[in-house]
Amino acid sequence: MAGKNKPVIALTGATGFLGSHLMATMLKKGYSIIVLGRTAKNESLKERISRLLQWFGIDRCLDQVTCIDADLSQYNLGIENKEYSRLCSVADYVIHCASDTSFSESKREKVMAANVNNLQGILEFSKNANVSFFHYISTAYVAGTGVTYCKEILSSAKSFTNVYEESKAAAENIISLFCQKNSISLSIIRPSIVYGDSQSGRSLKFNALYFPIRSAQSIRDIYLNDLRNNGGIKATKNGIYIDKDGYLFLPLKIYLPHEGDLNIIPVDYFVNATIKIIENCSQGGIYHLTNNFPTTMKIVAKYYEQLMKVRGVEIIYGPQPDNLLRNPAEELFDRFIEPYRPYLSDNRVFDRTNTSLATDNLNPPEFTYDIFKTCMEYAIEVNWGASIFG
Amino acid sequence: MQNFVNKSDDKKTPYETARNCRHYAMCKIDFLGSGVCESGLEKQFVSFYPQGRMILYEALAGNKISVTQKCIEIAGSCNLCGKCDYQCYFLNEMRPTKVMEALKNHVETYIKNGGKIKLSKDDDLLAEIKKIVGDNWATNDEAITVTYSHDLSAISDPKVPDYVVMPNTKEEISSLVKLFNKNKITYTIRGNGQNLLGFAINDGVIIDLNRMKTIEFDEKNWLVKVGPGVTAFDLQKQAQKRGYRINASEPAALLCANIMCSGIMSTFSTTYGINADNFINAEFVNHSGSLFNLNEISSPNLYSYKNLQHKDSPGICVSASIRLHPVTDDEKGILVPFETLNNALDFIKDCSVRHIGLALGIVGAEYISTFLSPTKKMASEIKNIFVDKLNIPWLVVVIGDKYAIRSISEMGFPFFDQNMFKSLYLGLPSLKTAQWLDLVKELSDDEPYSYLKVKSFAELFETALSPSPRLYSQEVDKELSPFFEKLFSRQEMTDLVWLNMYRIMSTRLGRKKPFLPALIYLPIDNDLINDFSDKFRLIAEKHGIDNDFGFITPIDNGKRCIFEYDFFYDYNDPDEIQRIRQVAMESNMLIDDYSVKTGTVKGHPYVLYQGFCRKENLLYS
Ligand SMILES: Cc1cc2nc3c(=O)[nH]c(=O)nc-3n(C[C@H](O)[C@H](O)[C@H](O)COP(=O)(O)OP(=O)(O)OC[C@H]3O[C@@H](n4cnc5c(N)ncnc54)[C@H](O)[C@@H]3O)c2cc1C
Ligand code: SF4
Repeated sequence: MAGKNKPVIALTGATGFLGSHLMATMLKKGYSIIVLGRTAKNESLKERISRLLQWFGIDRCLDQVTCIDADLSQYNLGIENKEYSRLCSVADYVIHCASDTSFSESKREKVMAANVNNLQGILEFSKNANVSFFHYISTAYVAGTGVTYCKEILSSAKSFTNVYEESKAAAENIISLFCQKNSISLSIIRPSIVYGDSQSGRSLKFNALYFPIRSAQSIRDIYLNDLRNNGGIKATKNGIYIDKDGYLFLPLKIYLPHEGDLNIIPVDYFVNATIKIIENCSQGGIYHLTNNFPTTMKIVAKYYEQLMKVRGVEIIYGPQPDNLLRNPAEELFDRFIEPYRPYLSDNRVFDRTNTSLATDNLNPPEFTYDIFKTCMEYAIEVNWGASIFG
Repeated sequence: MQNFVNKSDDKKTPYETARNCRHYAMCKIDFLGSGVCESGLEKQFVSFYPQGRMILYEALAGNKISVTQKCIEIAGSCNLCGKCDYQCYFLNEMRPTKVMEALKNHVETYIKNGGKIKLSKDDDLLAEIKKIVGDNWATNDEAITVTYSHDLSAISDPKVPDYVVMPNTKEEISSLVKLFNKNKITYTIRGNGQNLLGFAINDGVIIDLNRMKTIEFDEKNWLVKVGPGVTAFDLQKQAQKRGYRINASEPAALLCANIMCSGIMSTFSTTYGINADNFINAEFVNHSGSLFNLNEISSPNLYSYKNLQHKDSPGICVSASIRLHPVTDDEKGILVPFETLNNALDFIKDCSVRHIGLALGIVGAEYISTFLSPTKKMASEIKNIFVDKLNIPWLVVVIGDKYAIRSISEMGFPFFDQNMFKSLYLGLPSLKTAQWLDLVKELSDDEPYSYLKVKSFAELFETALSPSPRLYSQEVDKELSPFFEKLFSRQEMTDLVWLNMYRIMSTRLGRKKPFLPALIYLPIDNDLINDFSDKFRLIAEKHGIDNDFGFITPIDNGKRCIFEYDFFYDYNDPDEIQRIRQVAMESNMLIDDYSVKTGTVKGHPYVLYQGFCRKENLLYS
């Protein structure tokens, strides 16, 4: 199974956004991958993986993949003893990418279970397999709130924006201790917000950056339909109209608590930088995959207006005035973006010393209108993921 | 095997449509305000209503009977006005007028070809019967008797009676009973024949009570005395006109029949009660033909309850004094969504223990989408949207005054209010293509349905769905859409309070396939209810029978509830009939088992003919 010189990778989270993109590129580079994953409702793990490989256009690589039904919450990952021992004997590295990315406080228990409690199984596996490296995909936001300069060191933050950040910070600490104790080299890779491929626009997931755009587009479409097909009674009531040049005027004031940036990187950068880290770092370390040229919501709003032929979006920094009258579009939009709001005007600056060294100064691209357009057009083409697999 | 139950109606032959008549008697009431078949109103026998003509045509086309005198009269009295198309399409997506046309053609062609008309002769008994009720109101003509051969039960096979008689007074009933006793003739009482246990057919004589439609209000005493031919729909209309409400179940059910059979139950039973809660007094003709009044000390104690499956009927109920309930002008309906049945159960329990709400009922996505959708196809599309996109597998319908609605709001439950319900209902077609629904689901990530708490969500929801009677009506057959558009412009058609008190949509449940319910009275015990649900499902699956959760309504301050689980079958498919019988038997055994095990579970068949009992005797003994 193993390629001649490449280490054999045991990968979790291969069906998720980052994991799948990482898997695809690694396969193209000739790696052999043991996918530790789960059968979904109507699809076996193998079927899921081959569907993904097809989407990436690399079905030919299927025989580089060994699909193993594994349950991270179970002893020996729920894998039968003989098979478990066999896997231990072949795996050289672990990349732990599986994670519950929900921000919702109501899902605390589930998020903590997936991201923290379930670590034990995969860590034990690393020990039993005697792997030389454990690569953990974390997030830049383990830095927590109230910090302005975030170093590439373990987080000691006490307060976080949401349970996801908190769970990832806790996980980093647990993994780090375990690896130290068992002499396993560890790299912690911390991406900021990841969007689709900067060249092709392709992506498997459409949250984070996409969500505000998608929300605004939906609201736009509701009013466009009202204006075009129903006499626009509701639109007119809210001061919404179609301009002479065909642009829709839809007042949408978005309040963000203070000035700040939106730190986003494309998934191709995430993949290339991660592979460089895996291949180059002999000692391990912590790496911020962040953007030195972050964008802002003002820029994104401008891009949005241009692409969607809309006017009226206003980004206002500062607290929202009390008793402010919001139109229905604004009220709903506020609710839509609530979980993402802290990331939309962020003051944190990320240290990238380790990353620059390990990736030969590989940098993510600046977020231009062309990249925005390519990514959003792809998202719309696949109906924000609903028709991604046809 | 004639498995054409799911074929769309326009592709069905008249014979196939006729065979699919659901026999719900809804064409006997004016539930759409479009009028009722005129010949039915005049001649009264079910044979002169669309339902009867369907059965008659089926019998003629299937060569079960030949053309008789009455046959000619029944076919001739249809003026092809098309009213039954509106009614039947609304409920079952069927167009009976083509059957009516086929019936007329059949009879005309038969006569033109010199076919012999079968004359029915009065025998001695019929002559005696006619002496009591008059010439027009008793017959042994096969064209009439055959239309009384069906009921809704899967358990019994059709039986053609020898005679049908329609008395007009309790005295006539008394004389009839004495006559039948003397001649040792079996007789069976028939309301509108739509009880689901199936005991309204027999050989011998059928006594059809539909002529006895007296309604006398006694407002001082909060009661209305009705004859045994009064339907729930007609009485509710009269009561509403005077500012009252009655506890009514199926709109086409005759009230006396309903009380007699198993007691009236509806979502309003949460506060109005069941069984003896619904009436104040009743009059009977007993088996020897004597009259008795329930409130007399010497009368049989019908308030008692015995846990027996086939208790004898105490006689013929010839009037009932039904309780009137006050109505306030701030009553509204809301729909409270839930992700799990357990959460919905906790909610209805809490509400009924705290006396919040007048009417409460849990329905599943199948029920609600079937009720709201004008067609079967749309119902299944909408069901998926409810479950997958809106994440609403369960809804609790609440009717309450402004204080009740405010309390639910304060309890922190997001809900669709009356206005949003109207948008949802008349905007259903837009829901099918609404891309923004995916976002709404994501909004629920933190707190289920929290979008309903966003102040102006209702306005955006309405803007997005662009609800209108026209939009809704586009979903139905082209020729019928102008009628539907007008119909849905009427305020009551989208008013949750009206819809719950008249229940005109519940027979839509049988639109896809006729159904047989398992009905139980039991505590609101989540484990027990889930257990029943799972086991009913397993029984049905074992026999390849479609099935779904029906509804749950709390009763008696949340101490108990009524739970309906439904099994669907094609009653034109002998194999499916065998299987549904098996399902019915195993479900009843399951209920019996739990009944013994828990001491708190009662099955509906055990209430048959004990509808007059005190609910406490039924529920707690
Ligand atoms: C779709 C659907 C939904 C339903 N939902 C409900 C519901 O939610 N709640 C509910 O309570 N019921 C419900 N039912 C059952 C039905 O409404 C009742 O059983 C009602 O009694 C039927 O009325 P009917 O006039 O058709 O009675 P029939 O079927 O004609 O008669 C019922 C029984 O009573 C006997 N009977 C009739 N009249 C008299 C009389 N005056 N004196 C003595 N015996 C008599 C008959 O012989 C028969 O055995 C539902 C039925 C359908 C089809
Ligand atoms: S078409 Fe005939 S059966 Fe139907 S309602 Fe009109 S008269 Fe009655």
